[in-house]
Amino acid sequence: MDAIVTPLFLSIKIAMLATLFSFIIGVLCAWWFSFYKSKLTEFISILVTIPLILPPTVLGYYLILLLGRNSTLGSWMERITGDPVVFTWKAAVIAATIAALPLLIRPIQSAFESVDIDTIKASRLDGAGKLQELLYIILPLSYKGVLAGVVLGFARAMGEFGATIMVAGNIPGKTQTLSIAIYDAVQANRMSDAHLMVIILSGSTFLFLYIIHRWIK
Amino acid sequence: MVQYFRNVKEGLEAMKHVSVLIVLMLSVLIGCDSNSTSHVNEKKITVAAASDLYQALTEMGEQFSQETDIEVVFTFGSTGMLAKQIEEGAPFDLFAAAHESYIDDLIDKKSVLADSKRNYAIGQIAFMTTGDGNKVLDETDLQNDDIKAIAIANPEHAPYGKAAKEALETWGVWDELTPKIVYAENIRQAYQFVESGNADVGIIAVSLMVGSDDNYTVIDDDDYQPISQALGIPSQTANKENSQKFADFITGEKGQVILEKYGFGHPEGEY
Repeated sequence: MDAIVTPLFLSIKIAMLATLFSFIIGVLCAWWFSFYKSKLTEFISILVTIPLILPPTVLGYYLILLLGRNSTLGSWMERITGDPVVFTWKAAVIAATIAALPLLIRPIQSAFESVDIDTIKASRLDGAGKLQELLYIILPLSYKGVLAGVVLGFARAMGEFGATIMVAGNIPGKTQTLSIAIYDAVQANRMSDAHLMVIILSGSTFLFLYIIHRWIK
Repeated sequence: MVQYFRNVKEGLEAMKHVSVLIVLMLSVLIGCDSNSTSHVNEKKITVAAASDLYQALTEMGEQFSQETDIEVVFTFGSTGMLAKQIEEGAPFDLFAAAHESYIDDLIDKKSVLADSKRNYAIGQIAFMTTGDGNKVLDETDLQNDDIKAIAIANPEHAPYGKAAKEALETWGVWDELTPKIVYAENIRQAYQFVESGNADVGIIAVSLMVGSDDNYTVIDDDDYQPISQALGIPSQTANKENSQKFADFITGEKGQVILEKYGFGHPEGEY
């Protein structure tokens, strides 16, 4: 049973942290992209959308270049924490965050853009600062888009496989997430374990989406 | 304006719900974390192992844990992939490679402790078929039209795949058979391709088939370079003592008995 429960909890942990990080980055990016458009935001907007289209292996490759022990960032982080980042659950969180980011930004950005500009102007007239504007006007008026983004991002983070296995490896109890455990179980011909994990993953994803769907209605 | 005001109010309500959800998620997260830290056993080693060892090492791990109270966790994969990960600093305590060349290479790169290399077994390959195809296979059977897919491990980074390729080249059929060959990421996956019926034949490690009801025919070991398997201790390990104990177990009498049971040969000059 440990062979299933441990990866399940690890997946939930990684997906939640990744959703949290990409939510913070995503809301700020969407805000920037929607209300402060420029050539720069256009460029960065394309950059953060790339992980949606690129094969996860390419993302994994970039992450190894960026975070590997021989990279500047990787060796710098290793000096601070004492351990390499690659092949730890932290690397899995980074991979899942980047994979989830475009799925969060898209719906949030379009929700932000549909907020009536007069309402925002009215709040400014009443003396609202930029942060108040975001927290009390823009976010509440686009909460459906935000929720949709969070759900999609979480689902993507839960299912992340390709980049994760490249930068975090397949270490039981440390970096073996549910999707990697399924791959491993199939390779080892432990089909009953694989069946069970596939059912858990599909069932919980369906249930999750269903609840949110009802909620948004 | 009233409408907007109502929308904002509704939205703020929803944001409260979201905050409650976030708090809930975080508490689950903390719950998970304390759960996993309570599982942390100081006497635990993580072993990166070539996937041909799946059966033999799993059995050894259980026996070793019972005797020493040291828990052993395995990551099975192709030797080449695991070697790359160890070079990148993956937190493994022991590396059981399917070919000694990878250990030598890692020692050169200072990723594996120089004095830790030990040869522990000689591997063997065999033709594997499933189901009705009970017939004994040799290379001429591979050319039959009803054989559509031949599974081997990727010769680029899996020693058993390299041995399979060498055998096919020795028989002079490699070029002709290339279109039929299906590459698996490692030998355990190649086994799974045949076992699941998706490939008709495989050239597979004998050690994966011993004790199962698979049909296999061992290939003459003169037809390929010896698969001389070796292990080593990665330099970054914090569990050197415990890994050394498990390495001693593998190369010791008990380990060698288990390896022999799964069709491995003894390394020359040892045991």
